[in-house]
Amino acid sequence: MARAARKRGRSLPGLAGYGLPIASFILGIIFWELYVRVFKVPAFLFPPPSAIVQVYFTGRIDWVGQTLVTLNEAIFGLVIGVAVGFVIALVITLSSVLNKILMPYIVGLQVLPKVAIAPILYIILGFSDTSRILLIVILTFFPIVINTSTGLTDVDRNLVHLLKSLGASDTTVFYKVRLPNSLPYLFDGLKIGVSGALVGAIVAEFVSSSKGLGFLILNSQYTFNTVAAFGAFGILTVLGLLLYTGVILLGRQLMPWYRRN
Amino acid sequence: MAAIVAVENVGKTYATVKGDEVVALQDISLAIQKDETVAIVGPSGCGKSTLLRLIAGVERPTHGKIERGTRDGRFIVGYVFQDSSLMRWRTVYDNIKLPLEVTKKQNYEKIDQLIEMIGMKGFEKAYPIELSGGMQRRVSIARAFVHEPSIVLMDEPFTGVDELTKEALQHELGTMIRNLGATAMLVTHDIEEAVFLSNRIFVMSRRPGKIVEEVPVNLPADRDPSMRSDLAFFDAAKKVREKLLAMHAMSVELEAGSPRG
Repeated sequence: MARAARKRGRSLPGLAGYGLPIASFILGIIFWELYVRVFKVPAFLFPPPSAIVQVYFTGRIDWVGQTLVTLNEAIFGLVIGVAVGFVIALVITLSSVLNKILMPYIVGLQVLPKVAIAPILYIILGFSDTSRILLIVILTFFPIVINTSTGLTDVDRNLVHLLKSLGASDTTVFYKVRLPNSLPYLFDGLKIGVSGALVGAIVAEFVSSSKGLGFLILNSQYTFNTVAAFGAFGILTVLGLLLYTGVILLGRQLMPWYRRN
Repeated sequence: MAAIVAVENVGKTYATVKGDEVVALQDISLAIQKDETVAIVGPSGCGKSTLLRLIAGVERPTHGKIERGTRDGRFIVGYVFQDSSLMRWRTVYDNIKLPLEVTKKQNYEKIDQLIEMIGMKGFEKAYPIELSGGMQRRVSIARAFVHEPSIVLMDEPFTGVDELTKEALQHELGTMIRNLGATAMLVTHDIEEAVFLSNRIFVMSRRPGKIVEEVPVNLPADRDPSMRSDLAFFDAAKKVREKLLAMHAMSVELEAGSPRG
């Protein structure tokens, strides 16, 4: 009896952990399909899930090719954004003077809705991959800067005292304490950066491109091909999930010593 | 008998953000002889930890001077902090190794010896997050001894540890200090901890921190837990407690007598 009760007690959080969200998702899809069919909503207004699944197999759209274009831009921009963000974080934590000099530009760029500058980037840099990547970099570097610089500064003061008492230089404190301490913070920034990278890639394609999922969505709008746009949404959702999960898995791989709470 | 550390008329004054001056320590004089353990007992905020940082050389005194006797021509400290302050990105083994790296000592066999002493053989590759609080303290203690420091400074090493674990850890620490022939200075507000571990106890007053009493502990050098019920144990504890209580009563009277506003 007691064992059965315990077993039930254990299976409940298991259900709440995975079963419930999966059930909720499937029920949502069924409800959506039924709603569209019962009320006879036209597919160009609101396509049912069955139509969206079909759109992947019509062969009229090169889904793999378009997805790779967008994914390439997002990952390339994200990598550069992380590198730029990391270097800026280093600079502003190592020099309080440079910190003060750079801060207004960093904050200014952050509070500005960055997608607003997208159309203008093309005037300045032309319709090239460079301007597309630049938009993604601008969208992704800020969370990296803020998180990494927090991680570099927010260290256990006792550890700094310990190293200093042993005669360690600031450089030694930096690479033995500050740098490893910033890694989990960097990964938190990366999680935010992933969604920024996809936003950047799509907006860049809206503004100037003849390929990629963003272009596909814009093109679907002109041709009332709503179902194709929904197909792109589906892929973007999966891409976002994959990238986010990838960051988490990479973090676990690189930081086996880190667990939140 | 040579003094490892001689503190002479040392004072420390801090400037607050508002520009006021706070006297943390006033006219402190004490000498710590080789192979002895001294304890400093005082209320919270009396500047005990400041005194440790001054001796460690992490901060400089405002007045007076500190003479540091050297072993092998070099004065090095070992440090045990309130919270273990381990590097969470390093394994048990690598955490203990840290002082050897910084002081460029090569005797890595000492690490294994200490891991054996703290009873953590088999945990060399574990990360701090995988250890209990008591185990983390043991690792931080091993780290303080590994580089054979001239003096081991301990800043309330067992705060927040449950009573039984604390007594076990105190016994282990005492044994380790004796077996390694170390000199140690313990800062604590736990009277019994001070009596159990030290040869002499200095009682400090509330801010500005001054030494108001020196209490000798007349227990054999080889301490074991049964001595906690010795008359000499109670005697020393009583003297320290009475002094602290007298100061406490005085400060309460002062606060009650001072005009408001």
